[in-house]
Amino acid sequence: MTDYFEVLSRDGAARIGELRLSSPVTTPALADDHVEDAGSLWSEEREVPEGDDSVLTVLPHRAFPAGTADEVKESFRVDYPETDYPSVAVVASDDAHDAGTDAYILSDAQGFVGHASAFKDAIIEAKESLPADTALYLSGVATSLNVATLVYAGVDLVDAKLAKVKGLEGMYLTSENEYFLEDLDELPCSCPACQTPREEFTRRDCAEHNANALRTELAVVRRRIRDGRLRDYIEGQARHDQWLTAAFRELDQQYGYVEERTPVIRDSELAAATSDSIRRVEIQRFAERVTTRYQNRFKNPLVLVPCSAKKPYSESQSHAQYHDAIQFRAHTVSMTSPIGVVPQELELTYPAQHYDSVVTGEWSEDEKRFVAEVLKRYLQRNEYPRVIAHVPEDGYRDICERVEAELGMEFEYTVDEHPTTTESIGNLMRTLEGELKFTKREREYNTIKAIADYQFGDGAGDALWEDSEIQTTSRYPKLQVRDTEGEQLAAMVPQYGVLSFTLKGAKHWVESDAPTKRVEIDNFAPHGSVLAPGVVDADADIRTGDEVVIEGPKAFAVGRAEMSGPEMTESTRGVAAEVRHVEEK
Amino acid sequence: MSKPSPEVYEQGRGMDAHNKVMRDIRAKKDKTYDPHEPTRVWLDEDNTPDGVYQSLTIILNTGGCRWARAGGCTMCGYVSESVEGGSVTHEQLMDQIQVCLDHEDENADEQSGLIKIYTSGSFLDEREVGAESRQAIAETFGDRDRIVVESLPDFVSEEKLEDFTSQGLKTDVAIGLETATDRVRKDCVNKYFAFEDFIAASEEADAAGAGIKAYLLMKPPFLSEPEAVEDMKRSVRRCAEYAHTVSMNPCNVQRYTMVDDLFFRGGYRPPWLWSVAEVLEDTADADAIVVSDPVGHGSERGPHNCGECDDLVQKAIKDFDLRQDPSVFEQVSCECEATWEFVMDEEASFSAPLTR
Repeated sequence: MTDYFEVLSRDGAARIGELRLSSPVTTPALADDHVEDAGSLWSEEREVPEGDDSVLTVLPHRAFPAGTADEVKESFRVDYPETDYPSVAVVASDDAHDAGTDAYILSDAQGFVGHASAFKDAIIEAKESLPADTALYLSGVATSLNVATLVYAGVDLVDAKLAKVKGLEGMYLTSENEYFLEDLDELPCSCPACQTPREEFTRRDCAEHNANALRTELAVVRRRIRDGRLRDYIEGQARHDQWLTAAFRELDQQYGYVEERTPVIRDSELAAATSDSIRRVEIQRFAERVTTRYQNRFKNPLVLVPCSAKKPYSESQSHAQYHDAIQFRAHTVSMTSPIGVVPQELELTYPAQHYDSVVTGEWSEDEKRFVAEVLKRYLQRNEYPRVIAHVPEDGYRDICERVEAELGMEFEYTVDEHPTTTESIGNLMRTLEGELKFTKREREYNTIKAIADYQFGDGAGDALWEDSEIQTTSRYPKLQVRDTEGEQLAAMVPQYGVLSFTLKGAKHWVESDAPTKRVEIDNFAPHGSVLAPGVVDADADIRTGDEVVIEGPKAFAVGRAEMSGPEMTESTRGVAAEVRHVEEK
Repeated sequence: MSKPSPEVYEQGRGMDAHNKVMRDIRAKKDKTYDPHEPTRVWLDEDNTPDGVYQSLTIILNTGGCRWARAGGCTMCGYVSESVEGGSVTHEQLMDQIQVCLDHEDENADEQSGLIKIYTSGSFLDEREVGAESRQAIAETFGDRDRIVVESLPDFVSEEKLEDFTSQGLKTDVAIGLETATDRVRKDCVNKYFAFEDFIAASEEADAAGAGIKAYLLMKPPFLSEPEAVEDMKRSVRRCAEYAHTVSMNPCNVQRYTMVDDLFFRGGYRPPWLWSVAEVLEDTADADAIVVSDPVGHGSERGPHNCGECDDLVQKAIKDFDLRQDPSVFEQVSCECEATWEFVMDEEASFSAPLTR
């Protein structure tokens, strides 16, 4: 039961939370001033303290340091008492268990912080064993250099102990390095401690600075989480220390752990600026869904075009030119690094209109391999009468040729020098001569269904609606789906490129064969938000941002998940889902 | 009062666990020793109630500590320094004594007034050293002034000690009490006896006219630096009531021990030399000679400060051992004292070690 900690928002495994002390604390944060240690049971018998809600009380504990044998952990494990004030239990990462407290300290942090693989194992093992809505606290290990990665992995609380010790030892810490103080002619900081003239700057000042730097870095990290952009930051900042880079790469290999915690939609930019961006959950998930869920419904030829810097692509000058040449006679699919391929129906769907990558025209082998693999799988799943590759030399052509060879296909190439030259555009136009145009209705239906496939699962678009059952109204990108009587069933949300249902639409969704995600609630009718304690059960594959059906004895509702399914069932605090429409039973 | 023994005391979940783990760790070592040679022998100077003596320290190879065979203490690697099979004959023991006498002949100008005999077990345990050998050894050193023999408290008896006192030797029993806190001794050190057993042993010794030298261990595993210092301050004062000399020694990281496993994984740091100095200075008023002999000082595996001041602080500790004057510690200082002070204020067992 968590009474004094609440997760407010999530960005992957990182989260913004609130320690609900008498003066609330927003996490991730320094715990130093908010913790009272009731002491170790190794050295003395201890009383469970009175406690109060002004601090987190570390209950009497037996810490198992790194290297403690399993038998010792087993036989000395402490049974933590139940308390009615904010409390912390001390556990080893591989012996973590629900102790009913609001937060948990991992006693072996000294052993795994600094070692990427061990760090990944420890954090994942602990997080999987502890209730989702409790805070994870690592004591004595945080610095301004490593704290962003600690938080990225799922840590909520740290303290300034190590930063201060390092200062007293003459190490000057920033978010990009650990310097020997004696080597610094000039202090690379302007915090209050660093206002001291260099020659008077002591190790005590250095300790003060290190704590300031850690505090500042935590503020940056909090801002990044709120913006949904911590990963972009990590890819750059973690570069300053090898183990940190290794740590987030190790986490990238733990797709399940990170995926469960990564929202399916965001309205913030996604910067794909490093070679690691390809391994982000958002990128992998998009590629996976495009190649396993999406299906092309157009009968026309395929035209592969290069992506544009401007998003959505259709608003770019180059794509306007392609559009004028194609004139609805072909299905347009953009090739891009690092997303892979983007069918025209999904150009608004997160992260297709949200990412921004660094374009130099040079493709790395990694990028080529990834895009080629996605294109190959795409073409294996979707059949076209013709494939026209309206792509420039450089990486694009190379990728197309690889895929042609692997699939034994033949593409038609229409670009001369550059895709937007008069000659290239002319080629594209001529190549499509005689091909039939698809209709506006076809285009709109296919868009709605493609988004449904992507959002809900393979075949969802067709399972939801027969063409004869619906009509589309309003203008792209704000398409609305209505039944034949004109009642609205769903709408396309232009910011994320996903569908949101009306009550009627949601009922139809539940009755259809399309996969649904369901949240079962208690005996009440939710208005506004469904709080986690009201959730009886939730599908494990629900992700933050998913469209969900919410149902209980008293109500049927549709809305958007604000946490993952496992979190909904485990949590005792926090908003589980936002309700869009509700009907009392 | 109960008479504890390793067999009886190998009970309780914590001790079972510690013993099992220690047996597994020790099993990794496979080295055997010649039963005709002592484990070690060296000459030194020691402070005793009668002043400073030249000392001959002997570590007899007696087949080793029986407690260690059950698993034993979490920090002790000496167990492996015993002969295979376990038992050493009277002749072999006497050969070992001869090697020690030869060592003294070769390296010292005069006979040592003080003889100290350790066994990595209990010299007074007759399964290690039989009555015949004990009496012969007492006679061999009968012409010296003082003798110290090491034993667990259970084996201390008036009768055995009279073998030495009857030679006119001032006799001390060295007892590895480790800490006066039963909880720490049991859970952190994994030693099976209680403080009251130590008191009982001191009464036996007293009856024989012998004294007690208590050995304390600073910072067994699982304690933070401030907890370790606190435990030692308390222990020195409690011991001083029963022992005329307290030897308070910082833990070092010995191979094939639980401490070594923790150290290897980043979960243990030997104590600071500042901590040793702090305890000696703080307990200088205790009614006993309090000494410390930091082994491996200045190294990663031994008690250490920052690397700059280790030798200096070690020298101050050695000076204190001989003169018992705490003002010597006012003469040593280093920038790293601030770090140590911070560690003393801020380190908890769940954030330890804050620095290596």
